[in-house]
Amino acid sequence: MNLFGILDVSGSALDAERQRAEIVTSNLANAETTHTAQGGPYQRQLVVFGTRKPKLSLFGQVFNGSHKQNAQGVRVERIVVDPTPPLQRFEPSHPDADKQGYVSYPVINPIEEMANLMEAARAYQLNVAAIQATKGMITASLDILR
Amino acid sequence: MSWMETPLLQRMERFLDMASVRQSLVSSNIANVDTPGYRTRDIDFEKEMQRAFAAPDSPPEPNVREIHGLIERPDGNNVSIDRETMLLAQTQLQFQTGIALLKSEFKRLTTAITEGKS
Repeated sequence: MNLFGILDVSGSALDAERQRAEIVTSNLANAETTHTAQGGPYQRQLVVFGTRKPKLSLFGQVFNGSHKQNAQGVRVERIVVDPTPPLQRFEPSHPDADKQGYVSYPVINPIEEMANLMEAARAYQLNVAAIQATKGMITASLDILR
Repeated sequence: MSWMETPLLQRMERFLDMASVRQSLVSSNIANVDTPGYRTRDIDFEKEMQRAFAAPDSPPEPNVREIHGLIERPDGNNVSIDRETMLLAQTQLQFQTGIALLKSEFKRLTTAITEGKS
């Protein structure tokens, strides 16, 4: 794998971690949402990561055709919905209340979400550090020409 | 071997190749720090260099293996951030050392070409 291919591996992680942060912030934003387009309260979502073969441009494939691909990128394999039943709160005046006067609220623990968000941010920073290291190597190679 | 291919140049080429293979694996490990079931992968740098030097004309493909003895998390992932960041810095410095040596070797050849005038 050439050095530019390594950037793709780290780049895939940036993409995946950003998507994870998006989902987490969506969970936090909708912690009190009782009304969704699908009906019922908002349901907490979680991302599942999986490995991914790095994408290569056609130009890159020509030069890497004989090379074995060892490095693996990452991608969001799927987004799962937390199956925990919604929280019932007694609010008879609420427009979304059922016949008994209970309103279904999403089960979202802000601490858990914040921890998840911090983890995503740290992983993002780590991958940015990896990109910077690879960039340093590419710049050093270009230095031979000088 | 032509005069342009000094033993040092050939060895430095292998060295830089190996450093980029390692960089790709370290980046891959870092990218998959949160992937369930992912196992840390790396090469044995010294062993691979020895293998490459033993067969300078047809260098073998580096042997990528899983690293054992790392602490595994409940999701089956055993990437250690400390190990990877350390290797990231190390590989980068190794690469820069290789480039510096390569440059000095080219300079030496240039000196020979210009009869030591520049």
